[in-house]
Amino acid sequence: MSDTPFRFNFSAMGSPCELLICADSRAKAELAAEAGVAEVKRIEHKYSRYRPDSLVSAINARAGSGEWSEFDNETAWLLNFADTLYSNSEGLFDITSGVLRRVWNFDKALIPSLAALEAVLPLIAWSRVEIKNKAIRLPEAGMEIDFGGFGKEYAADSAAVALQKKGIAHGYVNLGGDIRVIGPQPGDSSPWKMAIQDPRQRDEIVATIPVFQGGLATSGDYEKYFEHDGRRYCHVMNPKTGVPVSYWQSVSIVAPLAIVAGSCSTITMLMEEKGGDWMKKSGFSYLGISNDGNRVSS
Amino acid sequence: MGLAGRAILAAALSMPILETARAETVPESAVISYKYLDYQESQLGEDRIGVKARAWSVLLPFAGDWSVQATYTKDAVSGASPRFWSKAAASMRDNREAKDISVTRYFSHDTLTIGASLSDENDYRSEGFSFAGTHSTEDKNTTFNYGFAVTNDDISSNGLQENKRKVDWALGITQILTSKDIVQLTVTDVQGKGYFTDPYKLFDLRPDSRHQNTAQVRWNHFIEGSDATLRLSYRYYTDSWSIKAHTLGVEYVQPLPGGWVLTPSLRVHDQSAAEFYVNPADFPWTATYSSLDQRLSAFGARTYGFKVSKTFDANWTVDVKYEKYLQRSGWRLFGQGSPDIDPFDAKMFQLGVSYRF
Amino acid sequence: MRGRTTKLSLLALAMLSASGCSLVQPVQPWEKGMLSRPEMTFETDRLDAAYTEHVYFSKEAASGGSGAGGGGCGCN
Repeated sequence: MSDTPFRFNFSAMGSPCELLICADSRAKAELAAEAGVAEVKRIEHKYSRYRPDSLVSAINARAGSGEWSEFDNETAWLLNFADTLYSNSEGLFDITSGVLRRVWNFDKALIPSLAALEAVLPLIAWSRVEIKNKAIRLPEAGMEIDFGGFGKEYAADSAAVALQKKGIAHGYVNLGGDIRVIGPQPGDSSPWKMAIQDPRQRDEIVATIPVFQGGLATSGDYEKYFEHDGRRYCHVMNPKTGVPVSYWQSVSIVAPLAIVAGSCSTITMLMEEKGGDWMKKSGFSYLGISNDGNRVSS
Repeated sequence: MGLAGRAILAAALSMPILETARAETVPESAVISYKYLDYQESQLGEDRIGVKARAWSVLLPFAGDWSVQATYTKDAVSGASPRFWSKAAASMRDNREAKDISVTRYFSHDTLTIGASLSDENDYRSEGFSFAGTHSTEDKNTTFNYGFAVTNDDISSNGLQENKRKVDWALGITQILTSKDIVQLTVTDVQGKGYFTDPYKLFDLRPDSRHQNTAQVRWNHFIEGSDATLRLSYRYYTDSWSIKAHTLGVEYVQPLPGGWVLTPSLRVHDQSAAEFYVNPADFPWTATYSSLDQRLSAFGARTYGFKVSKTFDANWTVDVKYEKYLQRSGWRLFGQGSPDIDPFDAKMFQLGVSYRF
Repeated sequence: MRGRTTKLSLLALAMLSASGCSLVQPVQPWEKGMLSRPEMTFETDRLDAAYTEHVYFSKEAASGGSGAGGGGCGCN
């Protein structure tokens, strides 16, 4: 009696999502899928900056007012994780850097003026965010935090746990390319072969990475970008200069959790030319394609 | 593995991604609270009983799946106690000390609580033990509540030594109806045996058993536009002394910016008289049992209340509540009030402080 | 007369279904944000409830409703 793979597709967090669940019956797989989707949507609703009633929106609305916003245990851990990323990336992974979205516009290919950048850069200051016990306060009006840097990966890990609680031991959660594998293929326990998109040719695969268990995430300069005067401007921005990074076309990392894989691949992009070294020291498996087309891998 | 990789992985592994979600969740923080009560009754413009009480309460989560709750209350009662039917007579002064403690264990869809209580006055001692639990369905939209308690009271005053015991059962269901509505239905059954007579009242002799039943429904409704919550409750009460009562409560919780919350409230109560309640005007009475106790007469009552609370620094909360209670035999909604009873008023003022850590 | 009662009953049933009664559409986990607000639960301020319940227990004939137990006192 071997498990059969069942696929469940849905949309969440602005991306196409898929649950691949191996179970001995469709009914069992459907029950698990329901729990997995519910968990992804719960996180999306709770931390979405687009919903005026989300926790993040409430915190941001109070920026500069002097008022504290209380948060729960789950948010406490995410904030602690954000702080760990900040400390281990030389301050380049900063969850207050979302304000740059106000001056860059990818739909209209808008490059901000120096004055516009100088107006928002002082608002990027994770070290000035005040946190005590179970409350947070953004000291200046206009500051904002958002968990977009690892929100999808966190949702992938949480959904995977929800599936595990329903008895699923083989399969994976794929939220727009951020993947958490629960367990290898049923029967022969061979790894799942995850395709990595060619950063310059949308329908081509540049590599396949075998994953038995754990998280696989890819950061690239091709998801959201525009080109101007022969230069590519992508959505991953250096919080100190306010300008997009350009050293890497694509960085993929495999780590025990999707949230670790995702945040490390983003940090590598932010580190630019120092990223190769950073990835090597991290101890995780990686594949990076630099802007000259060269590959580095573990 | 380098320092950075190790630090990031460690931070991620400390996350509760592997934690089981709980239906009734372990409290996230410990809380300690203090509340002061000033209660003053009056009848026909004269002050009667006054109570000043202080209470402390502590709630502590521990060992991940457990919590313990303890409360200590000290009352100081003074003033003229009603003896002969609404007319004040002997003056009295008494202190009461009450303590209770309960421990709860949390599971993924269930909780179990055991508790003990002790109350001591110079002429009355009450000890109790209780057991309660909840069970939620898979989607946690429905929760079943059940409880059982036994209480033993020892009365010793004016040379008499008496005892009464009661056994309580409670069964309820809490149901989430919509993202903004939750309702709860509870039924209880109480069987009491022993000494129910009030030793301080003349012509008071009550049956040696009392069987009580209640059915209560509560509904909380969230109002999106103003972030307010409307809390409604209705309780129907009936007992073996032929008393039937209806109690309706309404609260409107309105949060305001700056951590303020305003809660106006209204409570309306209606009760019929105990079958052995007698009106002195009908003296002499021939029944086996009798009582002139105004509390067992037929009347209607209203409470108007207003509570204001403010949260500071996310951890401290201060609250103030004022209530005015009015009891009138002419205010019955479901029948006639007992005749010749003087109106009864009481004012209640509460001041509380709470700290979360 | 009977026809009108049936029509009204069907209308009431339709309205009840449309109102999102959980018998038709269970509330999803990500929709429970409002329900976790303290004022939306049935656990109110413990000391406040203890004081008011004690007052009503000693001034009225009816008592109880929410659960089993709670200590006695000489005030009734």
